[in-house]
Amino acid sequence: MATITATPGLGSRTTEGAAIRAADLLRWSLDHKVIGLQYMASSLFFFIVGGTMAMLIRWELLTPALDLMADGTQYNALMTIHGSVMIFLWIIPMMAGFGNYLVPLMLGAKDMAFPWLNAFAFWLIPPAGVLMIAGWLVGPPEAGWTSYPPLSTLFSPDGQTMWAMSLHLLGVSSILGAINFVVTIRNMRPAGMTIWKMPLFVWAVLATAIIQVLATPFLTGGLTLLILDRTAGTSFFDPGSGGDVLLWQNVFWFYSHPAVYIMILPGFGMVSEVLAVHARKPVFGYRAIGLSSMSIALVGFTVWAHHMFTSLQPALRIPFMITSMIIAVPTGIKIFSWLGTIWGGKIRFTAAMLFALGFITLFVFGGIGGIFLAAVPVDIHLHDTYFVVGHFHFVLFGGSVFLIFAGIYHWFPKMTGRRMNERLGQLHFVTTYIGTFFTFVPQHIAGALGLPRRVAMYDPAFTNINTVISLAAFLLGISSLIFMYNILRSLSHGERVGGNPWRGLTLEWATTSPPPPWNFRGDPVPFDDPYGYGSDESGPYLDAVERRFPAPEEAAGA
Amino acid sequence: MSQESLTPAELLQQRNRRTGLTIFQISWILVFVCLVIVNWQLRGNHPSWPPPGVNAPSALLPGLATLGLLASAWLARAATRSLAAGSRAAFRRQWRAALALGALFLLVMGYEWLSIPVSGIYSDVFRMMTAFHLLHALAIGLFMSMIARGAGAGRVSAQNLWPAEGATGLWYFVVVAWLLFFPVLYLI
Amino acid sequence: MNPSNNSNSLMTVVWILVAFVLLVVGGLIIAEATPLVLPPAASAEAVQVDELFKILMALGGSIWLLVQGAVIYSVIRFRARPGDDSDGASIHGNSTLEFVWTLIPSITVVILSIISFQVWVNITTAQENAQVVEARGARFLWSFSYDIPGETQNVNSTVLHTWVGQPVVLNLETADVNHAFWVPSMRIKQDLLAGRSTEARFTPILAGEYPVVCAELCGSGHGDMHSSIVVHEDEASFLDWFDEEAFIILNPPDDPAEGGQLLMTAGGVAGLYACAGCHTLEALGWDAIVAPNLENVADRAATRVPGMEVERYLLRSLFFPGEFLVPGYDNLMPQHQYQDPEEANYMPLDEALDIVAYLCTLTASGESACNVDMLPDVMTEMGMG
Repeated sequence: MATITATPGLGSRTTEGAAIRAADLLRWSLDHKVIGLQYMASSLFFFIVGGTMAMLIRWELLTPALDLMADGTQYNALMTIHGSVMIFLWIIPMMAGFGNYLVPLMLGAKDMAFPWLNAFAFWLIPPAGVLMIAGWLVGPPEAGWTSYPPLSTLFSPDGQTMWAMSLHLLGVSSILGAINFVVTIRNMRPAGMTIWKMPLFVWAVLATAIIQVLATPFLTGGLTLLILDRTAGTSFFDPGSGGDVLLWQNVFWFYSHPAVYIMILPGFGMVSEVLAVHARKPVFGYRAIGLSSMSIALVGFTVWAHHMFTSLQPALRIPFMITSMIIAVPTGIKIFSWLGTIWGGKIRFTAAMLFALGFITLFVFGGIGGIFLAAVPVDIHLHDTYFVVGHFHFVLFGGSVFLIFAGIYHWFPKMTGRRMNERLGQLHFVTTYIGTFFTFVPQHIAGALGLPRRVAMYDPAFTNINTVISLAAFLLGISSLIFMYNILRSLSHGERVGGNPWRGLTLEWATTSPPPPWNFRGDPVPFDDPYGYGSDESGPYLDAVERRFPAPEEAAGA
Repeated sequence: MSQESLTPAELLQQRNRRTGLTIFQISWILVFVCLVIVNWQLRGNHPSWPPPGVNAPSALLPGLATLGLLASAWLARAATRSLAAGSRAAFRRQWRAALALGALFLLVMGYEWLSIPVSGIYSDVFRMMTAFHLLHALAIGLFMSMIARGAGAGRVSAQNLWPAEGATGLWYFVVVAWLLFFPVLYLI
Repeated sequence: MNPSNNSNSLMTVVWILVAFVLLVVGGLIIAEATPLVLPPAASAEAVQVDELFKILMALGGSIWLLVQGAVIYSVIRFRARPGDDSDGASIHGNSTLEFVWTLIPSITVVILSIISFQVWVNITTAQENAQVVEARGARFLWSFSYDIPGETQNVNSTVLHTWVGQPVVLNLETADVNHAFWVPSMRIKQDLLAGRSTEARFTPILAGEYPVVCAELCGSGHGDMHSSIVVHEDEASFLDWFDEEAFIILNPPDDPAEGGQLLMTAGGVAGLYACAGCHTLEALGWDAIVAPNLENVADRAATRVPGMEVERYLLRSLFFPGEFLVPGYDNLMPQHQYQDPEEANYMPLDEALDIVAYLCTLTASGESACNVDMLPDVMTEMGMG
């Protein structure tokens, strides 16, 4: 491997210089770094779109009656698109963006295994996004992101078909991207990097890709049937003509539960990196973290019906409760291992580290809520209430999104050569943390007290708690604006950095920031232990990296 | 093709392509598995299958077509080996025979699709599954016929084996997918 | 956490014990908040579910405190002091510790699964002498039909009536899309699945009125799809209510308009019509907003289609609701049919006539806007009957 000098089939680089300009993001490019940034930029765009919808939803819910929306249909359309955009066009592609940017760098490779396929997978996303949003023009989907028939087949307008086609494209994109990751990670590790020396982020991407490869085909199958039912007059989900509404629920959740891990596992990988680097301490229990990613991925395939505890045949509910409870064990191992990582470290309170620490404290709350929902008798009461809404926002916002923020603060210097503003980062963290806590904790309580999810009108008894939730949600909206401002400002005004501003040991730091078109000049040799912080060898190694890729002179930078 | 003549980069590319194809096969075959499961759940809801008043189609003709498809895959494999051994003429002969048998399979299944009487959920499932398979077979068959033309023009050769190798892998995929469907649709 | 020399071992054990006691006490305190986050427990099942909820609160509370405590302690104790650029200790793991924190959660989830299973068996075991109620969800209304042993008359209502100590079993069916029957105070929830019949059971233990909520998205009026359960003190007071309802149904008024009003509140041969799920009509206590308001509907019906009489407009609207959509409203109303009693949305013609007669009386003046005698002729002209 180390002798490769030119890789055929990788195509020419459109970016001749090291810096990737905004205009490059709008062009077809085979460079994994450009593609990674394309994923991230489009995801951030959809984050704003979905976030605006969230603000409208919370505005509507300030009062028990319908006031902002003309009717319930409008509200249902809004929450359907909000959910679909946030899941399929924000978190999943954002994680794919991190994977695309970082995996080849962490492996010391020049690019992904299949650069053309990589670009193709990304370029499926913009048309899918257009299809999803343009549904509004023909009558938006209004059956929720879960789109249970018969509401989604016999009662929902044409936008529902476009929604399904959009998800179809995103599913194909996701499978193609995942194949690329598996091949890259399996075949293109540098000499000396066994799987037990891979960075944990690479482990997590591998586990995620395995899930995507094995689960997404079921989404494809289910959506095919849904589209046929809506357009070709078939009746797979129409019980009036011999179909079965539970069929969709089973197929949908067989994909969508594993999809939950598609959204969080790459984040688990990122937090392992961030905690080790900013606590200056080796990851505690490296193998346990890597293997728990894999076991979460595998056990994740056996728990789907816990989303159906109130519709599944009663006799089948208990087995799914048991598998769902088991997931808590590998998740617990991870949390304890992260605590072990910071314990005894020298913690630097960078914005990345703040979000990583904030993630631990929030995610554990989400995890505990998950145990409540796994216990069948309790879930019978909590199912489809705001408790569930609070729970999955805790793990997706307090989990995935916090980790995305941490990842951006951590790798922004690598991607741009500039650091993000730490003061704004701290402000962003404080507002986000408070906003998250006071948006989603009260949602748990409201749900347990009797507030169902997906309602535009509600019992006036819940007015006060909904007001608290909405105000906290508005704070989250403001915090996201601070974040966007920080990104835009740091792109041009951020402090210039060298190759390794955080003194990290993984390979992506052993090149310039941003890396040159083929990532490395010469063949990088990975440090033997990717988390060898505090060891005698790491100091000289990091000093050498720093000398080789120094920060530009401030005079030159200014 | 002799492995020694490959540069390390080309070796890596070959390894990547083979791994990638395998993973794609594993992944996409699961869509067919999903549809088999759909078939099973739907028939499980009915006391008898096909439902009363619906006649199950005969397995004879499709059974023969299945044998033809298997033979076609075997021929495609032989053709790729011939090409790797440097025998372009043998490749073209065997590849065309594989294509002809594949086309026969497509014709038979197309006829089956058209001739099944529309009868509610039974024919819905039948037509959905056969059509889904047919579309894959057709697309990959077209790709194979493009390779036949490419071989004629000298673009596919022992030095550029991958198109034939990859297409053969995809054609295996069509066969395996059909071996999943055929018993469910005709035998059980 | 990783005692490195023996002289510190004793202190470490003491600290672990102190932390353990603090966590247990903290968890128990948090568990005391259980009643604050749940509605009053009004069924025997609710009491058991709440016990389990409380156990989870205690356990979850302890874990939460443990993790928060560990993070806060680390943040303070292990923060990099200004000017300290060194790394932390090069510790890669500790097998014993990792084994312990795998084992303890494993045992915990096994225990939790066993307890949950126990509760599940208890709350789903069929009770003897249960009151059987046919419950139906239609966009966006709940309706209940009672099967009382020894009573022949079937009573429909939009509110579920039962009494303390009487086990209830509900057979749930939907007229259209999936719904979910949820009674927060009883801690029961069961989806209504198109094409399937499902079941829910509970035994009320506390008299009062409790909300019934639809918990599965069913369309534009989903948030408005609610009802309530009235738990009477005892069987006698339940029967008082039941007999009154039955008496009204058994002695229908002669006047078609009054008969129509009764049909709309107590249902007809096909059960309760779901009008209240979407329409507003103060006289009958309806307040839904998905469909056009029915206050003084007869006045507006006269003006909607030039040249069309009120009675014709209203009758056609019952059977062909898509024909005259009021601007701003979608075509959501079930299309009634009078031909086949076995099929969905059956409305016999005589009931339709009574309902129209009642709707005709909904005017500002209170006078009927129609010539009721003309209705059969209208029907014949429309090719009905």
